[in-house]
Amino acid sequence: MMFFLANLGMYVFPIILIGVPLYAWVKGVPVYETFVKGAEEGLQVIIGTLPYLLAIFVGISCFRGSGALQLVSKHMGRLLKPWGIPTEVLPIIVTRPISGSGSLGVTGEILRVHGPDTSLGLLASILQGATDTSFYVVTIYFGSVGIRKTRHALPACLIGDIFGFLTGFIIWKLMVYGR
Amino acid sequence: MYELSVYLGLGEGCVMNAVWLVLIISGSVVALMTGNVDALMSSVLEGAYDAVQLVIGLAGIFCLWVGIERLANESGLIDALARVTRPVLGPLFPHVKDEEKIMGAISATIISNILGLSSQTPLGLKAMAQIRQVHGETYQAIHSMITLVIISAAGFCIFPSGVIALRAALGSQNPAIVAGPTAVAGLVSTCAGLLAHRLFSKRWDETQGGSKLP
Repeated sequence: MMFFLANLGMYVFPIILIGVPLYAWVKGVPVYETFVKGAEEGLQVIIGTLPYLLAIFVGISCFRGSGALQLVSKHMGRLLKPWGIPTEVLPIIVTRPISGSGSLGVTGEILRVHGPDTSLGLLASILQGATDTSFYVVTIYFGSVGIRKTRHALPACLIGDIFGFLTGFIIWKLMVYGR
Repeated sequence: MYELSVYLGLGEGCVMNAVWLVLIISGSVVALMTGNVDALMSSVLEGAYDAVQLVIGLAGIFCLWVGIERLANESGLIDALARVTRPVLGPLFPHVKDEEKIMGAISATIISNILGLSSQTPLGLKAMAQIRQVHGETYQAIHSMITLVIISAAGFCIFPSGVIALRAALGSQNPAIVAGPTAVAGLVSTCAGLLAHRLFSKRWDETQGGSKLP
């Protein structure tokens, strides 16, 4: 089962890659012209997101490079310690919604130092995989259609992230307790 | 943050203004206080460079997937997909559920998300563009757009390949053991985000004097 799931994405990709153009060809769609037109559209869309991505990247790197992010993680650590959440994983919780590569770096460091199969390594991996990078998704999705007033999209995503982390933490507790 | 944005007069519903200002101001203040200004400078320049790198890096994937989507669109596959997923996704996207092109793009995005395919973002942005087309020129987020963004940001995925690859590389005996827990956490995150979306929208409709936004 696990093996099947692991390779599902790998099999789906070539099937789509062959299947869609073949089906379109059978349906009489001019395959090459249509693909190129779509590719052109894709290029325009991604180029259009640059100003938005640049703005949020600059903001985040300002926050991170100045040491403000570390400061926030440190103080949040004190806040969350009574809940039984190990302080080592706090940088993951704080960084995860802001920067995907940043939190993957923190997770990698924890796995390297403590080992991937220790209980701490397990928690770090679960938290890393629990959600996606909300800031990035909100920025690129709305940026691509030129929408600046995102209303409650980001707060709602962050609330989702908090619940995702909580669930991951509870499952981890159960897994470790069951060992 | 929502309250803060309105309170500070940054514009109603413009949370990004508040977020961006908070990031820049708090970063700069901390840097000035701790004497980290050099690190701040290089980090900010690196951020700008990274944004350009990311866009260039994504350009190929975008061209490929939007090209394939166009083929699927013109051959009728997208409409077929929309009809299959309608019972599940229709209630989540009540304003656009009858637009087969949009629902097809949304379905393809969510399926890519679940399978962890690189087509997630290209197809997601395509769906956003189509929702916008239906509603015309707008600078304000539309209900269906927020729903799609929340589902994508929650990242419900049956196989988080990034973490699993990292675990395997560092010598884990069972790298994929985290797939189950992360899937459950992702599902809960999606539901909580959608619930928050519902509550926020309700309040929005009330404050706008009953003029419902699409």
